[in-house]
Amino acid sequence: MRHFLVMCLFAALAAVVFGAMAKDTPRERWLYGLKVFAEFIVIGLALGWILYFIPW
Amino acid sequence: MVKSERLEEHVEPTPSSAWLVGLAAWFLPGSGHLMMRKWGRAALMGGVIWLSFFIGLAMGGHMFDLTTGQGSSVLLQVPPMIANLGSGVLYIVCWLLGYGFADDPVQAARATYEYGNTFLLIAGLLNYLTMLDAFDIAAGRHS
Repeated sequence: MRHFLVMCLFAALAAVVFGAMAKDTPRERWLYGLKVFAEFIVIGLALGWILYFIPW
Repeated sequence: MVKSERLEEHVEPTPSSAWLVGLAAWFLPGSGHLMMRKWGRAALMGGVIWLSFFIGLAMGGHMFDLTTGQGSSVLLQVPPMIANLGSGVLYIVCWLLGYGFADDPVQAARATYEYGNTFLLIAGLLNYLTMLDAFDIAAGRHS
């Protein structure tokens, strides 16, 4: 659980900067920041499960 | 008149203040936007970088310089060092104090060690983005 929370914190920090500098209007920035946050989480979880099933 | 010549007519020179803002933004995270009175952006973007840096240190992460190679090539230390250097004065002060560069097995055994490294790296990389954003605003290419 702690690992997931740290990943969420990481995604949130990166999403704030990406969202703040990417778009023009506040609404677009919010939406883009949320999208970046969601992408970090989804891709992180997907990679985690893929690596889980790979027998190193 | 060829196309490239027509394009050159519209290129405006970058004001020297933009370079100063960019340098300040790199050196002290958030200061570039502060110089342009972009209070919200300075608080958000600068705050994220400072927060990320100190979270990384608190998690036991370490920064990279050219002397921390553990038997590997020094060249391998260069890319993460460039990322860490993005933190500007935060990296420089830690380097001068010798704090945050320890890479011994005891520290590496901490569960949050790799997370700390990542937060320290991302602090520097995000500050490069913040620096470019401040430069673009100062140069009038972005609002």
